[in-house]
Amino acid sequence: MANKFVDLATLKFILNDVLDLNSLLELDRFSDHDSESIDMFLSSVFDFSAKELYPCFREMDENPAHFKDGIIEVHPQVKTIMEQSGELGLISSFISAEHGGLQLPLLVHTAAGFIQECANNHAVGYAGLTQGAAELILEFGAQELKDTYTPKMLEGKWGGTMCLTEPDAGSSLSDLTTSAKPNGDGSYAIKGQKIFISGGDHPYASNFVHLLLARIEGAPSGTKGISLFVVPKFRPDGKGDYESNDVITGGDYQKLGQKGYCTTHLVFGENDNCQGWVVGAENMGLKYMFKMMNGARIAVGRGGASIATAAYLASLEYAQERPQGRRVSDHGKKNANEKPTLIINHPDVRRMLLLQKCVSEGSLYLVALASKYYDLSIAHSDEAEREKYHLLLELLTPIVKTYPAEMGSESVSNGLQVLGGYGFCSEFVLQQYYRDIRIFSIYEGTTGIQSMDLLGRKVTMANGQALQHLSGEVMQTISKALDISELKSYADKLALNLQTTQKVLGHLSGFAQNGEYERYLADANMFMEFFSKIVMAWLWLDMAVVAKHALIKGDKTYSEEFYEAKIHAMKFYFKYELTKTLSLSKILMDEDSLTIVDEKEVFVVK
Amino acid sequence: MKILVCISKVPDTTSKIAFTDNNTKFSEDGVTYIMNPTDEWYALVRGVELKEAHGGSVTVVCVGDSSNDQIIRKSLAIGADDAVRIDAQPDDSYFVAAQIANYAKEQGFDVIITGKETINYNGSVVGGMLAELLDLPYVALVTKMDIAGNEATIEREIEGGKEILSVPTPFVISANKGLAEQRIPNMRGIMAARKKPLNVIPADAGISANTSVVSYSAPPARTACKYVDADNVDELIRLLHEEAKAI
Ligand SMILES: Cc1cc2nc3c(=O)[nH]c(=O)nc-3n(C[C@H](O)[C@H](O)[C@H](O)COP(=O)(O)OP(=O)(O)OC[C@H]3O[C@@H](n4cnc5c(N)ncnc54)[C@H](O)[C@@H]3O)c2cc1C
Repeated sequence: MANKFVDLATLKFILNDVLDLNSLLELDRFSDHDSESIDMFLSSVFDFSAKELYPCFREMDENPAHFKDGIIEVHPQVKTIMEQSGELGLISSFISAEHGGLQLPLLVHTAAGFIQECANNHAVGYAGLTQGAAELILEFGAQELKDTYTPKMLEGKWGGTMCLTEPDAGSSLSDLTTSAKPNGDGSYAIKGQKIFISGGDHPYASNFVHLLLARIEGAPSGTKGISLFVVPKFRPDGKGDYESNDVITGGDYQKLGQKGYCTTHLVFGENDNCQGWVVGAENMGLKYMFKMMNGARIAVGRGGASIATAAYLASLEYAQERPQGRRVSDHGKKNANEKPTLIINHPDVRRMLLLQKCVSEGSLYLVALASKYYDLSIAHSDEAEREKYHLLLELLTPIVKTYPAEMGSESVSNGLQVLGGYGFCSEFVLQQYYRDIRIFSIYEGTTGIQSMDLLGRKVTMANGQALQHLSGEVMQTISKALDISELKSYADKLALNLQTTQKVLGHLSGFAQNGEYERYLADANMFMEFFSKIVMAWLWLDMAVVAKHALIKGDKTYSEEFYEAKIHAMKFYFKYELTKTLSLSKILMDEDSLTIVDEKEVFVVK
Repeated sequence: MKILVCISKVPDTTSKIAFTDNNTKFSEDGVTYIMNPTDEWYALVRGVELKEAHGGSVTVVCVGDSSNDQIIRKSLAIGADDAVRIDAQPDDSYFVAAQIANYAKEQGFDVIITGKETINYNGSVVGGMLAELLDLPYVALVTKMDIAGNEATIEREIEGGKEILSVPTPFVISANKGLAEQRIPNMRGIMAARKKPLNVIPADAGISANTSVVSYSAPPARTACKYVDADNVDELIRLLHEEAKAI
């Protein structure tokens, strides 16, 4: 197993040099922090990850969380991880100071989560969901709910979950049936089942605070009648103690990957004795939950970027040590008497590693950028700027959720290939990353749902303003790149792709204007792929501009090879990835409609 | 109880080591620095634990320029109360020990702790020199230390066993693995460290290094890893004999 699980230099380059973290720290909201203390915080997170998370990463896969005798057993290290996540400030890191948090930028929280998930993507969700659940209560809940539940959650003593999915309500939450009936004392009687609940139960939290979506009796059907509730596993008994709240763990799910991160089936109110307390106003639940889900979507992107990174580093280490075969000489012959070369010297292996580098580092920049947009959307002093960053974040969110997961999978698959037969063997870690990353395209809204969100809602949002802002940002990078002769041709290619985007959208919007909405959205997934590739080309060009400026200035923060490698990766990305937008644009503008249901039977199995 | 902990910065273990100026200087390009691990994990943490148990204060001292401020702040985040940086290049071990002694002599520290060695130069001599210059007892490579009143009970590992010593305060020790366990600073501690005093004092100009570097050289580069089939022991022996020349 590779013992280097994270590339801190690239993380710091993105944070400080590309995204200028210092400019965020100048905002009032973050003025309690400076770059030195953040650097120290991240090095604490690294030490914690190396000491507590990384050593049990493979064990968590080999000894999956499982249901036994009514409880879920998880790796015992989850205890230390929960405690230390509270103690180090990982759960409270970006929560406001008025609520007992550290009020760090989300950008820093994302960087911290990235380091941890590179070390162990099974473990981080336990504290991560707890933080998300606490944040929801703090933002929308009544004071009593905040006082009763959040302090222990921020300390890592109690766990938090998000309970949305039901057997018949997965992608379509409007169909959920869990019910809530007023008890007359401010509480509601909750009844229903929730499935696939991550971190829903384990022995290392003394209580669980479930943030649950349910429909209050008599509420309208569809999304308009959904409310958000706090439903604890143990509720206050009014005498200073806690009593059981009729939340039963019905079982768990054994999975392809992330086996150490338990996925539970929870039954609420089986004995008609489950109480919940509404968060905020009735029937506003989905709106509130989206707040958590938007954060969770950035976290899912971060997870994809982390696994892709850890896998890249493991493949790279292997390729630097494994001798096999000989290089093809200039006369096209191989000299069998020559010593075998290291596989990193074969062009095809380099191609796979470069793809891994492009996807993992590009994804990290993408999630970090989205986090910075979030910070600016809440903390910028100018309201118009806040709105601009809000729109940019909205537009990027489905891409942030999807690209690191989808391309991360492809990247890890290439990484496994780098190891040849050993990649397929349990002894090496690549197969674990390959399995672990697969879920990231599914939970928090599948790729299909994210793609429809992107094309159906986000590109047209605020009369297309979100898209205009994004084009503005891309144009800024293009104009910087045009000033550097080595980067000029790449700037031109990116500009051409922006024009193609306009053409594709013009073509597709014709369907929407004719009322053919299903046709408009039928290839949303292809559009996601097409558009993500362009967004990522922008980010790579941006990194190359920063690297080039550093080289010109003679900046010694990183070595010359480090900066040159960023520029090389950008060139690789443009040659091997961005060019694919051409065929994708052809698919998107093809006249044939082949996936929409019509009279013709296409799945004929004889 | 007044405790002094001596700390220094070292390149982190993943840094690429290169030399400049005709191999007489270590290249700082792209290098990140950390607090020397034995200073941090054992010396400093044990100092903080003693303060927590007995009251008093922990001061850290570092000889170096402002590029050391990051590790000094980390020591404050871990629990030191204040810090002193003696503003000079730490040219050699004698220079460092003499500068610290010069600062410490009037301060009345009960316990002075150094790390057992730095991970870059591995000299292991500052503690001993410091004790000599201050005319204090010195125990090296300490794995356990408890204090009751003015007496410390100290353990150190010796060949095949351990030695238990008793030493009156004030004294100097160098800390070895086992003396304490790494403490990872939390964000509240890090934020609090921003408000703790870091006093920069001038070096004593009368002290100078008594050695100078002629040149550095790196060990030979690591060669590729060879995989030998588990059943092919003969090949393994051949390679160990002919190529690695290990047997
Ligand atoms: C390991 C794991 C952990 C999870 N953790 C949680 C959790 O903590 N809390 C929670 O509430 N849920 C959780 N989930 C549930 C997860 O969010 C859902 O599985 C996911 O949203 C998809 O829902 P579904 O499984 O019902 O699939 P379905 O909704 O049945 O989807 C099946 C397929 O149909 C497609 N599809 C569905 N509707 C449409 C449409 N309208 N248009 C186009 N395509 C469509 C989907 O893209 C997908 O490919 C978890 C799931 C897993 C596997």
